[in-house]
Amino acid sequence: MIFNWRRWALGVAGLVAAATMTGCVSMKPYVSANLKEVPPSEFVKPNPSHPVQLLFNFQTKGVDNARVTAALKARVVDQVAASNLFDSVSDAPVAGGALLIVTVNNVALDDHEFAKGFATGLTLGLAGSVAGDGYIATARYTPPAPASLITKEVRHSIYTTIGNHAPPPNAVAAATMDEAATTMLHQAVSNLLNDVSHDPSFK
Amino acid sequence: MTIHSKLSTSLRLASVAVVSLALFGCATVKMPVPTSASADNLSTLKAANLAPAKAGTFVLAAGKPAAMDSTLDGLRGSSVEPSNGSFAKTLREELVVDLKAAGLYDDASDIVIAGQLTDSMVDAAIGTGTGKLGAHFTVTRDGKSVFDKTVTVDATWDSSFVGAIALPAAINQYTALYKTLAGKLFADADFQKALAK
Repeated sequence: MIFNWRRWALGVAGLVAAATMTGCVSMKPYVSANLKEVPPSEFVKPNPSHPVQLLFNFQTKGVDNARVTAALKARVVDQVAASNLFDSVSDAPVAGGALLIVTVNNVALDDHEFAKGFATGLTLGLAGSVAGDGYIATARYTPPAPASLITKEVRHSIYTTIGNHAPPPNAVAAATMDEAATTMLHQAVSNLLNDVSHDPSFK
Repeated sequence: MTIHSKLSTSLRLASVAVVSLALFGCATVKMPVPTSASADNLSTLKAANLAPAKAGTFVLAAGKPAAMDSTLDGLRGSSVEPSNGSFAKTLREELVVDLKAAGLYDDASDIVIAGQLTDSMVDAAIGTGTGKLGAHFTVTRDGKSVFDKTVTVDATWDSSFVGAIALPAAINQYTALYKTLAGKLFADADFQKALAK
């Protein structure tokens, strides 16, 4: 049988067109339930209160991601401001020199190098139709001098099922990817602020 | 060539184009203006005991193609454009954001940092991606030249066969070079000497 380019081309074009038009592949995001939101009422307020300079950076596999940083920065600034831990939140240096650096590093959970330490049954055994994204959130807080640096880290994750796949265990469904990202970020930052505020060196 | 073979050739090319489009998805992405300082750069600046400075003119270096300042190719048919219209000005904004975060930016300063973009490239090749960014920086203090040096940074990374994975990675790696380049400038001993208090 002679290979028929015309038939092949028509077939491929038809498949691509069908996939594009019908959008038959469904994707559903889930946020891990391992990390719960901590309300600001549980934070320990510094005494005396003071302003803080805040830096936020989102990274992808350890590389600064300017696009996502720009998209999420305002949310983190608003959350730190609403925590009532500080008198005000600023991009610029503040009186007293308090500095809070929040970094969220997005890593692939099927990447063994990055996946270490994630408390989830899916960590290294992801099926092909579930994608796992890990988020290593770090806070480095320098209180007004004299004081030592406080470093805290929490880990969170988002799973995305592709196609008709059962929901991952111990995870909460989100309506959209943006909702999942918002929930993940808010929960991670609330835990960081809580952990920092309970550190004996916090002031 | 028969009508049938012409049709076959056309369909073959069309199908390859369709498949390529489906696999790689051509697009132009806007690169955001830097909004957040680098923690590493902030640390470098704070440790250096520098006098406040201001940013002067940042333009494309003489002799470089005009497109270097406005478009980034090497992305399998897709491209990146700076949202402020100029990669040189984006580099300026990176320096400004970092200097402001360190409390070292002052519009009234007599120390002026200027730059000319000399290198800007990315290649999202299958296997290994590469990117490079360079600029010729000058610093004048009370009108006198105190620093004059070209600084270049580059990056390599694993680059996927799949465009949907490779292109965001390449764009991210290229964008991160702006912070890396600013950091290399801030860490330069001659630069620190030029801005010393």
